[in-house]
Amino acid sequence: MSIFQLHVNGRLHTVDIDGNMPLLWALRDILGLKGTKFGCGVAQCGACTVHLDGRAVRSCSVDVGVACLSKITTIEGLSSDGSHPCQKAWVELGVPQCGFCQPGQIMSAAALLTATKGANPTDEQIDNAMRGNICRCGTYPRIREAIHKAAGGSSS
Amino acid sequence: MSGIFKITRREFLRQTGVGAGALVLGYSMFPTEPLSAAGLPDLKDIVTYGFPLGAFVAIKPLSGHITIFTHRAEMGQGIKSSLAAVLADELEADWDRVTLHQADADAVNFGVPFPYPMPGAPAIVKGEDAQFTDSSRSMAAYFLAMRLFGAGIRLVMIRAAAAKWGVKATELEARQQKIYHKLTGRSIEYHHLLLEAKKVAEHPPETDEIKAVLKTPDQWRFIGKKTMPFVDARDMVTGKAVYGADVDVGRRDMLTAMIVRCPVANGTLKSFDKTAALAVPGVKFVEPVLPPGFPMTGGVGANFIPHAGVAVLAENTWAALQGRRVLKVEWDLGPNATYDSDAFRGELEASTSQPGKPVRWKGDVDGALGGAAKVVEAGYHIPHLAQAPMEPPVAIAHYENGQWEIWCPTQGPELAQHYVGLAMLEPEPLKWLIWLATELSELREGERETQQAFNESIAKLLNVDEPTLFKMRDDLKKRVRDKIKIHPTLLGGGFGRKSNPDYVMEAAFLARQHPGVPIRVQWTREDDIQFSFYNAASSQYLKAGLGADGRPAALLHRSALTSFFATIFPPPSPSASAVENDINAKARAAFHNGGEYLYGSCIERAQGLEDNPYAIDNLRIENSPAANHIRCGWMRSVANIYHAFGLCSFADEMAVAAGRDSKDYLLELIGQGRMFTEAVFKEEHVPAYDNNLFPINRTLVSIGGQEKEISPGYPPDTRRLRAVVERVAKDSGWDEKRGKLPKGRGLGIAAHRSFLSYVAIVVDVSLNEANELTINEIYAALDCGFVVNPDRVYAQMEGGIIYGLSYALLGEITVKNGAVVQNNFDNYPVLRIHQTPKKISTSFVVPSPEVVKDYPGGEVPLTGAGEPPTPAVAPALANAIVAAGGPRIREIPFYRKVVVR
Repeated sequence: MSIFQLHVNGRLHTVDIDGNMPLLWALRDILGLKGTKFGCGVAQCGACTVHLDGRAVRSCSVDVGVACLSKITTIEGLSSDGSHPCQKAWVELGVPQCGFCQPGQIMSAAALLTATKGANPTDEQIDNAMRGNICRCGTYPRIREAIHKAAGGSSS
Repeated sequence: MSGIFKITRREFLRQTGVGAGALVLGYSMFPTEPLSAAGLPDLKDIVTYGFPLGAFVAIKPLSGHITIFTHRAEMGQGIKSSLAAVLADELEADWDRVTLHQADADAVNFGVPFPYPMPGAPAIVKGEDAQFTDSSRSMAAYFLAMRLFGAGIRLVMIRAAAAKWGVKATELEARQQKIYHKLTGRSIEYHHLLLEAKKVAEHPPETDEIKAVLKTPDQWRFIGKKTMPFVDARDMVTGKAVYGADVDVGRRDMLTAMIVRCPVANGTLKSFDKTAALAVPGVKFVEPVLPPGFPMTGGVGANFIPHAGVAVLAENTWAALQGRRVLKVEWDLGPNATYDSDAFRGELEASTSQPGKPVRWKGDVDGALGGAAKVVEAGYHIPHLAQAPMEPPVAIAHYENGQWEIWCPTQGPELAQHYVGLAMLEPEPLKWLIWLATELSELREGERETQQAFNESIAKLLNVDEPTLFKMRDDLKKRVRDKIKIHPTLLGGGFGRKSNPDYVMEAAFLARQHPGVPIRVQWTREDDIQFSFYNAASSQYLKAGLGADGRPAALLHRSALTSFFATIFPPPSPSASAVENDINAKARAAFHNGGEYLYGSCIERAQGLEDNPYAIDNLRIENSPAANHIRCGWMRSVANIYHAFGLCSFADEMAVAAGRDSKDYLLELIGQGRMFTEAVFKEEHVPAYDNNLFPINRTLVSIGGQEKEISPGYPPDTRRLRAVVERVAKDSGWDEKRGKLPKGRGLGIAAHRSFLSYVAIVVDVSLNEANELTINEIYAALDCGFVVNPDRVYAQMEGGIIYGLSYALLGEITVKNGAVVQNNFDNYPVLRIHQTPKKISTSFVVPSPEVVKDYPGGEVPLTGAGEPPTPAVAPALANAIVAAGGPRIREIPFYRKVVVR
């Protein structure tokens, strides 16, 4: 066990945990931030996606000892009130079905829009950025549409 | 005669957090006392003379805030919002003041039988299954019930205002939770009428001039409209939605359990060494999950119990995972350790190469095959499939003073309660079977004989008479309900996996070992894929004799499938006594006409096998025997998966053999279409067709000497199948594109009735010279009668089609030495966004007037949309690949035959 300082959603948390603990479990079990979901544990499904310094990463596969070097943003910190353009587009287009994967989908989509500096990505860019996020309900067509909408564009 | 609602128990209010001041309104159309014939079928009388039932709606006296208790499981289909909005619409509730509360497992309060709750009607599904969310039936079963609940309470409010103001009820109007009196301009809020409402409800007027209770469609605010609310969407995109693992039970001492399970079904624990696991910081306990001698087989659903396992209980998930990694366990793998799915495929194919048990036939198939100009035959194979919902199974259990409180994502709250209860309270498997004892009066014709044989046998075994047997059953059920509380959470997907509560039982077992400490059993993805209840592996064999005109004169269809009934009811075993084998066989036979071991149950045979829709003079359908060595269960659309893949692929193979256009040929196969009444099935030797538990025929019962309709009937109707084919052909531009598509591009079509709804799919694919597959577009047409929530039904179509694409292209569970080979999304791949077509469009088909006129009451009853989209996808895709110049693919997954990037 060691002391780590985690910068999460603009707040500093001091935790005394195993440095090999994946960030996912530190967020969920230690900090009680349960918006980040556990889906596979091996960076295959994207349900646990968070931002490290604005980049989308799978929190199940980043150790706390590494994550503590970056500013961490989780779905709870993406906006204080659900007003991120992706969140708004997701609700307006009724993207979620069961909703379980959607925090991860939105974190990946938000990072994509940061990378394109807000420009409307092509379908190919969306596919490349989002192929690490599985949705078993099959909301992919609406996810594509919502990303275009969040970028202020219409779907291609 | 009692009124329609009452102030209910304090206990209920305390537990549901509504607050003790609220008025709780319950309503049922299913009185314990038969109504007088004169009282029916006027809706007015039905709503007047209901009886206090339960807890669908609570109105707070101070704020007027309304809580609607949602009783069905929410797993992505949107039913939580949809059913509540249907109720609220009729209630004229102000949606801004409505909150939804997910109901606990509560067979007493939510035990509303369906589909048409009327006095004297045999319940299609008994009250205790009212929350079991499967078979795409939530809306079909509860649309009318929810409307009546809402309308009934609105009527009481109108009467209450009439009494308070001393005016006629007909002069009043309910709007957005207020009653208005136009003549005097007065208005009053519902919550200011609660005392009068209680009086009116308890003493309904002898006569009442109000005739129409239900709203007319032009008065609907939500029903059938885009305005349908989706209450959880915002929480879902902000991370606030609470799924199984997210429940805060308010205790910092909760332990997380990770379990090492025996890799083989029904294996047992030999020994384990906990030293290394206990040395991991944070690990508190290492212990077996199942108590010694816990039944591995025997008793109803015994095989729905968990695999044998050893649990590592720790302070947090990471510590539990670390502990599990170093835990050493030895198993006695048992007889299923020789199971090999590749070898089993050979057994299934050998089985369908021989004559099976005929389950429907007409004409002379062998004669017609002998005289055919051309014979076409083909075999198809579908492997085991795992549902793999995004949220792995999880359950939190707390045990204290002989009672369990459990939070879990479950499709079957009462089923989880029932299994947990039996396992915790009743260790003797024989006594589990008491649960299945059923009065014959509860059953439909065709079910009584097998039930009687079972009732007699179990009573004899227990040495009791029948009344005592039923009393024992009721006592057991009450004990289970009293001791086990189940709080269902949102489900992060279900797809049939979360119907089976093995993970809930694990949590309950462990909690019992640690009274006072909440225990969370968290499954990993590896656990989920390796310990699913798999959809059946199946082989389909079809053979047709085409006449000189290319049309089939004869069709033979054989299906071999690993029945999930072999999981529910233990197959005959040499290690079991003759008595045990006999009672298990009788239990299976009695349960929904489950039939006998090695064969498909009535339910599986009805999903695309016995209900073959083609107009062919000589037809023989056979069920071929298949053993079972693994836990089988349900996956979205279940037996339709393999039956539709075989039959709809074969329709295309016949078209190709006849040199005909696939769509035109399919329409000719269906013909002009007809309604399958029970008489048709009987004539063609189908003794009892299981119509998704809904009656085929219009159902009438005699009440007080008068015939009353309790169900309009849900007959398979191939005219509706024809209509969806015609629509999807039009939408996809089938005729315009015929012969004009470039080389390497093709359209495929398939149509299938599944879970009472009709779906046709056209898939447009490209196949390049490197054999790489691209799915360009998918068109779908759905006839589910009336669409209550269009946006969510579109979403179900999109999702159901993608689910179908996923297993068609990629799905395969294989088993070696009794253990599942795959263990995560890297080797059990599922469809990703880049593999999803750019466009999936759906049209809703409204049954034509010529069809509607044949339905009693001039209305086609509405049906579901969760499972119907899925089955036709795989065959439509296979057919499209052939049209694009690719190979005929007769086995899932397709990626073995074409390149899927």
